[in-house]
Formats: sequence, structure tokens, C-alpha cells
Amino acid sequence: MQNALLEFLTRRRGLSLADVLVLGLLAAAIAAMVAFGRQAGAPFAQAVQIDLSPAALPRYTLFSLMRGVVALVISYVFALVFGLAAASSRPAERVLLPILDILQSIPVLGFLPGFVLGLVALIPGRNAGLELAAILMIFTAQAWNLALSFYNSLKSVPEPLREACAVAGWPRATVFRRLEVPAAAPGLVWNGMLSMAGGWFFLMVNEAFQLGDKDFRLPGVGAYMSVAVEHGDRRAMALALIAMVVMIIAVDRLFWRPVVVWAQKFRLDDSAGEAPATSWILELLRRSRLRAHARAVRKRALRTVRIAHQPIRRGLRRANRVLRRMPRPLPPTSWLVRITGWALLAGAAAAAVWGAWRVAELISRIDRASWGTLGVAAGLTFARVLLAVALSTLWAVPVGVLIGRSPALSRVLQPVIQVIASFPAPMLFPLVVLALARVGVGLGVGAVALMILSAQWYILFNVISAVSALPPQLTEATAVFQVTGWRRWRTLYLPAAFPALVTGWVTAAGGAWNGSIVAEYVQAGGTTRTATGLGSLISIATAQANFPLLTGGIVIMSAIVVGWNRFVWRPLAVHAQTRYGVTQ
Amino acid sequence: MAPPVGGDLLEARGVSQRYRLPDGQQFEALRDVSLTVREREVVALVGPSGCGKSTLLRMLSGLAKPAVGQVLYRGKPVEGVLSSAAMVFQSFALLPWLTVQQNVAMGLAPDGKLRSGDTAAVARAVELVGLAGFEQAYPRELSGGMKQRVGFARALAVEPEILFMDEPFGALDALTSENLRAQVVDLWLDPATGVSTLVVVTHSVEEAVFLAGRIVVFGTNPGHIREVMDNALPYPRDARVPAFTRMVERLHAILTATLLPEGERPAAGAPRLMPFPRVHVSEVMGLLDHLVSRSDGSASVFDLAETLGVDYDRMTSVVRAAEQLGWVVTPGEVVRLTPAGRTLVAADEADRKSLVRARVQDHSLFARIITMLKEGEGAVEDDEILADLTILFPFTRPQGLYRTVVEWGRFAELFDHSARDRRLVLPADEMPAEVPGETA
Repeated sequence: MQNALLEFLTRRRGLSLADVLVLGLLAAAIAAMVAFGRQAGAPFAQAVQIDLSPAALPRYTLFSLMRGVVALVISYVFALVFGLAAASSRPAERVLLPILDILQSIPVLGFLPGFVLGLVALIPGRNAGLELAAILMIFTAQAWNLALSFYNSLKSVPEPLREACAVAGWPRATVFRRLEVPAAAPGLVWNGMLSMAGGWFFLMVNEAFQLGDKDFRLPGVGAYMSVAVEHGDRRAMALALIAMVVMIIAVDRLFWRPVVVWAQKFRLDDSAGEAPATSWILELLRRSRLRAHARAVRKRALRTVRIAHQPIRRGLRRANRVLRRMPRPLPPTSWLVRITGWALLAGAAAAAVWGAWRVAELISRIDRASWGTLGVAAGLTFARVLLAVALSTLWAVPVGVLIGRSPALSRVLQPVIQVIASFPAPMLFPLVVLALARVGVGLGVGAVALMILSAQWYILFNVISAVSALPPQLTEATAVFQVTGWRRWRTLYLPAAFPALVTGWVTAAGGAWNGSIVAEYVQAGGTTRTATGLGSLISIATAQANFPLLTGGIVIMSAIVVGWNRFVWRPLAVHAQTRYGVTQ
Repeated sequence: MAPPVGGDLLEARGVSQRYRLPDGQQFEALRDVSLTVREREVVALVGPSGCGKSTLLRMLSGLAKPAVGQVLYRGKPVEGVLSSAAMVFQSFALLPWLTVQQNVAMGLAPDGKLRSGDTAAVARAVELVGLAGFEQAYPRELSGGMKQRVGFARALAVEPEILFMDEPFGALDALTSENLRAQVVDLWLDPATGVSTLVVVTHSVEEAVFLAGRIVVFGTNPGHIREVMDNALPYPRDARVPAFTRMVERLHAILTATLLPEGERPAAGAPRLMPFPRVHVSEVMGLLDHLVSRSDGSASVFDLAETLGVDYDRMTSVVRAAEQLGWVVTPGEVVRLTPAGRTLVAADEADRKSLVRARVQDHSLFARIITMLKEGEGAVEDDEILADLTILFPFTRPQGLYRTVVEWGRFAELFDHSARDRRLVLPADEMPAEVPGETA
């Protein structure tokens, strides 16, 4: 069968090895999708047996990847709908943006139990419910920044371009397809890359978790890791980590890099890149030969498709004639968009009211003693978060300045750091905890180390990009006036990095809070270690299916995070930008 | 030869337009403007920035709807963008991800699929503006002049009856814009293009006289039509002939009367409050220094703008500031140094400060702010002053005016601004005496 196809294809002129390779990749992607679909459609198995043999790992990794990809596709659809709705009218904007702001700053992991129970009940007898819950959990880590990015792009399309489209008589749907989406493409691609990395963070928990006496497990590299940890199987743990790294690098090289290069075409400004964070990778790519490769691959792919689909084209043409006569779907005119926006708004409002009512009902069941526990736990975790951010700052700022100062160093190290940062830190937690236990450090302090693992990269990244974007004249000026050594750090590097550092702190604190849920409650070496804190309280409440306590924990954590963002980070960011922003 | 002007094509009837500024205030861009554009004529809209000429252009084309009044096309109200019109933008407004060919075809094939007729139209338009050979280039690869050629080709491809141009040469260098300007006249005279009527917004007096048969001069605060000037010079026009120069001078005179109205000079008795032009200290000093070098300490505004290489608009603002502070007078178009101005230029750095200080603190606006400061025990919050400025001058952006006021006040050492506390403060030695120092 395979041979026949190959023979058929090669008979039509000039199908080279490269074409076969492209076809092979396509076939592999389709096969992965089919396998994944089969797994999702399989009869419900609450906890699948995870096979710890190395041979099973590629399949598990592919399953995990599929979940990430499906979640990303859903995230993109959500981002487009949300952006259009929010940009369509001022009232919609006023309601939707604050909702997004809250959603992106609260720990979504806490919603997992609700999701799972709901979806499993909704699709009984099939694995699809459980799969959907895992995908939705990944989605909640991916969607918000994409939506925000699309909204921002819509708002910043230059007015003359919109007017040019209006004068040209373009219908609304065409403006969306040929102006708005292309203009948003660079931001959507860049944020998609970040989202994909962020989506892996809770992979282990998403794929294997306990809810009361029920054990839920899905085939995937995250579940593989959990089982390996449970069994104390060092080889399997190492293999899972390697599989994860290979997947991250492969996705980065095979997918994101070419897409990033391609998206350059859609930049609106003629000169430099828009965000300083993007410039280094664009710079790197411009130097590499990848662009030429990507173009060759694309050309090949198009040619391959053209040749390969010739036999079915005739049929399609015939079918087209019939299809044309059928009633066509309405183009999304502006009133349709507006109605969608309002419907979304009404839906969101209804959901919010219902959710608030449910939460209030659950919280009212918490007794006074539990509130005391919650308060103490919140204080402890809060202290750990601050400590983690402070310690991360302590090492990441000097290192970030050193790397950012030297173009050669940042060129070499940035891609490496990027891959490391994409790696989901919680997968390392069991190993770190075991290592710490050996030197006699308990989880009470160890949790801080784990939270640093999930917080530090944001600070490092931001400092590097800020310092490498410093105008060279400023460095030259300090050199000319003999401002050297520590004085140069104090007068130039540290103030210049400060606005970016604040941005880093915001995301790092968010990462630390998220991390606390898994950092304060670690199952390693067959035992479960906990440290008193809000994170472990949430995890324990999940394990015991104590929903009032779980809800209370989530609400307190969300309140602290949102309040801290509003009253500490935001004023600080404004101050940093006005006082230390390098704009001349 | 230019074709004879025909019947009424477009008419704006008593249109007004308001915008809501980001800080929530309303800004009236145009008030009660009526204008008729006839077939086969070229109309230029000129005036200082912020006079609403671009707004009127957008309302005529159907891109914007007037808040009051209506726009008629051949006697019928305009609904949505005029299908018989095209537009050329100052910023080119090309889609960077489309090739020259695809950009030119924007109005012909919205979906990007070119039919055979469209390809011919695109090729013709590309040929007309001299872009043949560039069809597959992306806008990023082209110079400004070439980009604007694409803008013209895109407009010509749809064979528009009316071509709107919003400062089409504003972003181009002098050589390129002169070349394109001549070409626009050729295109309009060429019956093959199908373009019958041009409406152009411009900053440049020469450009208006070169292109237009009728020149509409706008005034500001709020935008309104000051005067309409007919220009019957035969096409194609030559900027070197005396008739052209005379026309330019006439338009200069009208513009100067618009920009430097005689009534603005502060009356000796009761000083009327007026906004201070948004110019820097160094610009006014530069003007005075330059005027001293002129034979009798005077020159025309246009001459100054040209010699100093400054935008005409900007030059007028600088002159107005110098006039409000009593350093120059402006009889007609001429700017002349006053004795006070001469003294200031001759003074050394230390004396200059005190001379400027004496003038600035007598200016009605600064005097009012100093009074506020004294009543406020030496400090007033930014927000309070901004609110005051908003009430006093509803047509100006208070933030911009405030920045200028702070700069002049700082230079004259009349007051200082604290960015940290976001307030205006008197210098320490100027603190009112009745406030005792806190030395408990």
C-alpha cells in the first residue's frame, strides 16, 4: 500500500527525496492525530496502566504534545473571538479586559477537580471527558496572553490602513482576514511560543492526579514521570526528562523558528522589531541559514501538495459547482461581530454570577478553625513567594546584566536559556526534593528552592533583554567619563534594567504562586512530603476532595495575587517606566 | 489645457465634527462648514494644523460622518464610503505583507484573486505612475517616493471620479515631492486616467497654488473656513513666472491674517487671558537672534520660515510667542523687533534671565498661575492647574500647554515643577512671607 502510493507519486514528474520527507512528516502528524483520537475515543479507563519501558515513551510524549497542540489551537480560536469582541465596543472592552486580567493572574490549577468531574460526567463511558479536562487545563495556561496580544494588535492597527481598506471597499470579513490577522501575526506567533512553553508547566499534574479516593491518569509523558517517581525508578525519570527536552527542542526547531521567520513578513514598522524581547531571536534568525531552509521547505511542501492532490482536484471541481449553488454562510459583518461580542459578554456575566454564587455557597461551609488554618497557610506561602522572588533577583540580575552586556554571550546563551526556561520546572521537583532531603533540608525551606525554579527565568530574561537593548551611546558615555566598575552598575545598568526587572517580578511572582501548589506538596521516593502553606492546603484539599476548603484556598490565593498586582506591581511598574524608562 | 469646471459634485452642508479626547474632553474639530466641490476642478484645503482640513476631507469621502450637517454627492446624502472615490494618504497606508501588484489591486479584488480585467487595470495604473518592473516588490523594499507612487497607482487603478489626497507629499523630500506633484497634474489633465476631480489637503502654500483652481483657507479654534481663493493660472503651472509668485504672496497674506490675527495683541488696560503658543525658549531666542542680523530687524514670516528651515506653522507659533511677550510686533506679514527685543538680544546671559522673567511674569496666563501658587502656599497640584487650563482654553490640549508653561516658568525661575510629587512649586526664596518656616 505504502509502496504503491510512493510509486504512484514518483511516477508524476520529479518527486524528490525532500518531497518524500515532507510527506513522511505529514503522514507522521496524521498518524499521531489518529492515535490520539483513538485514545480519546477509547472506553473510559480512570487510571491507565503506564508502561515504564523506554519503548513506550515516544508514544506518550506524542500524546502529551498532541494535548498541547490541541489546546493551542483552542487558545488561538479563543484569542481571535475574544480580541474581536473586546475591540468591537467600549462597554465590551470595559468588562472583558478586567476579566482577562484576573484570569491570567489566578492559579488555574485549582479548577482542575471541578473540570474533571464535570467533563467526565458530561461524556460518560469515554476517555474524551478526561482528555478534554487535561486539554482545558493546558488551555488555561496558554490562552490569556494570546488574547491580550490579539486585542492589542487590533487596537494598534494604524488608522490610515483601516481607511485605505474602507476606501478600497473591503467587506468586514476581508478586513479581518487580510488586515487584522496579518497585522496581529507577529504578536500571535511570539505569544504562541510563550504559551506553548507555559502550557507544559502543570503537565505532570494534568495527566496524573488524585481526587479523593479516585485516581485519574492519562497516557502521557507527565503521567510517565509521576509513575516513575512513585516507583522510584531513576532510569525512567531520566528518560522522561530527556523526552521532554527533546520534545521542546524539536517543537522549537521544527515549528516555531520557521513560523517566527515567516511572521516577520507581517511586521508593520519598517525598521526594528517591535518588542525588545523579540529582537534577539529575530537577530539570531537573520544570521542563521534557517530562513533559507524554511523557504525551501515551504516551496517543497506546496509543490508536493500540488502534485499529490492533482487526482482529487477534478472531483473537487465537480463538487464545487454543486456547492456554489447551496446557500452560503453569512460573512461576519460588524453587527454579527457585535452580537457575538454581546452574547459573549452576557455569557461571561451569567457565568460570573453563577460562579460567584457557587463559590459563596461553598465558602459558607468553612468553619472558623479552617479559616485560621487558611490564614496561617496564606501567610507562609506569601513569605515563600517573596523570598523566592528576592533570591531569584539576587542571582538573575547580575548574571542577566553580564549576559546582556556582551552581544556574543547573549547570542550563544539565549537559545539555551530559552529551552531550559520552557522546561516545566515541576518535573524536576521530585529530584530536587530528594537531593535536599539527603542534605537534611525539609520541604518547609525546600519549597522555596522549588518556587525559585519556576520563577527565576522570567527575571533573567527580562534583565537580559533590557540590558542588551541599551543604546550603545550610554555605555560609551559612561566609558568616556570614567564611570567604571560598581559605579557603572549603579548609574547605568541597574536603573536601565529596572523597568524590565519589575515586569520580570510580576511574572516571576505569578510563577512562584503557581509553583507553590506543587512545591509544597511533593510525592517523591514513595512518600508524600508537605510543607504548611496555601499551596499544600489546595493540594491536600484536592486529594481529600474537600471542596469548601479547596475553594477557600483558591479564592484567598486569587485575592492575594490580584490585589498585589493592582496595588504593588502596577504602581511600581508605572513609576519604573516614568523614572527609568530609556526613551530619548 | 484644463477642462472646464462642471456642475456640483460634492457638497458639505453646515457640517460640524467633535472628537472625544483620551482624557474624556470633547474637542471641536470643525464648526458649521459648507463647501461645494464641482466636477473637473482641483480644490486645495490649506490651514494650520488642527484646523480640521483632514476631517473635512474624510467627511467628503464618506470615511467619517459629520456630527451635525450632511454631505451630498450629486444631490444625494452620502452613506458610507463613496464608491466613485479613491484616496492617497500621507503615510502611504500600504499593506506591508502585500506586493506592489496586490496593493494596487486592493480596490479591484478585495479577496486578492485577480481576474483578467483587473490584471490589465493594475498594469495600466502601474505604468501610469512609472512603477513598471516593481510589481513583485514589497513596500518595505521601496523608497518613500516609490511607495507614494504605489499609493497613487492604487487610487488610479479603480479609475475614480474623485481623487482625495491627504497631504500626499508631506512625508517626501523636496525633490521627490516636486517630481510627483508635476506628475499629478499630468495625470489629472490626461483624460485616459478617468480622474475628473481632485481634493487635496496640504501644508504647503506653493503646492496649493501649483495644483488647485480653488484654495480653501481654514482657521482654527474651532476649525472653520476663513476664505476661498480662486486661482485661474493656466495649467501646467510654472513656479518661476511672476503671476505664480504673486498668487503665492496673496495666499501668504491670507494665511498670515488667519494665523496672526490683529486682535490677539494684549490690550494695554485689562490683559485678556490667552493660551501661550507651544514653543520652546530656545526657539524664541533663536528668532530674536536671527532678526537682529536682518537689516532693519524685520522680515516676513514666510521669508523667516524658509531661511531658518522651519515649518510655516511652527514659525508662526514662535512669532506669536515673541509677540505676546512684547519682543516683536507684526504689522501685516512683517515681523519686527521691538526695542525690548533688541535689549534682550544685547544682554548677557545673567541679564537675559531677569529680562525674560520680567516679561513672563506680566503675561496674563503666567500671572494667573503665580497667583494660584501664592494662594496655594507655594505649591499647587498638577491636576488643579490642568483643570484650570481646561476651563480657560477648551480648544487646547491642557497637558501640552502645561508642559510649555512649566518650561518657560523654569527658565524664568518663576516656579519649579516636581515630577515626583506631581505639583508646581514656587522657588524656596519666593515662598510667601506669611507662611512661617516649620522651626518648632
